[in-house]
Amino acid sequence: MPADIVTLVLCGAGLVFFFAGTAGIIRFPDTLTRLHALTKADNVGLGLLITGLAFQAPDWQSVGKLVLIWAMALIAAGTTAQLVARSALQQQDTSQ
Amino acid sequence: MKRTVALAAIWLVFAGAGLEALVVGLIFVPIAVGLSLRLVPDGIPVRLGAVAGLLPRFIAQSVIGGIDVARRAFDPRLPIDPGWIEVPVALPDGGRVALGGELSLMPGTLAAGSVGNRLLVHVLDRKQDVAAAIRHEEERLWQTTGARRGGASTGGPPKDTEGSR
Repeated sequence: MPADIVTLVLCGAGLVFFFAGTAGIIRFPDTLTRLHALTKADNVGLGLLITGLAFQAPDWQSVGKLVLIWAMALIAAGTTAQLVARSALQQQDTSQ
Repeated sequence: MKRTVALAAIWLVFAGAGLEALVVGLIFVPIAVGLSLRLVPDGIPVRLGAVAGLLPRFIAQSVIGGIDVARRAFDPRLPIDPGWIEVPVALPDGGRVALGGELSLMPGTLAAGSVGNRLLVHVLDRKQDVAAAIRHEEERLWQTTGARRGGASTGGPPKDTEGSR
């Protein structure tokens, strides 16, 4: 039961960050600023979600899988953010 | 060798330690290691212990980054002042990509590739002092490699290098 409460709090906080990331996508003015919102806020959201879910995991293997998901999403986010940023920059250059 | 252990560990987490899973792993882990060695042929030696040492600060920073950007996204006044800065980075290519990935999750910065040895960084708020943070992070990344940086002398932590394979 205490584990359920921890899960609720952490996952709830995670959702706030996903919501913030989405708000950023809608409110920020261009591709690059939107990328800031998306990568950073969603990364924290996912971290909180994963930590919250880990408290529900039936065994250590499931925790390991959750951590793997988090680590891979983190690496993917850091890498794709750079790639999108670079292509946005190149498009800006050619349109000027 | 390190790669074999790492990939085998990932396989175990994925598939569990059942007999069938182990048989399949016995076939595919070596294939994955071969692929890894081919795609990233022994780059710079990396000290795993030092990499693990980076984690706490990186996680703390990325949480701050998330809170920072969430605050700005929710604020009715939308307090952002985006701009570009260029930071000279002496890290080898792989290290520069790692630094860029880190920066993209840390407060206020987003890497967009590099020109020559200068990293292009988009900043969300030009009033934030990010240059110092970037330099600090670069310094920490240097300490995870056994590579010598050109010229500058680094004391560095005690050596426990053993090559990357």
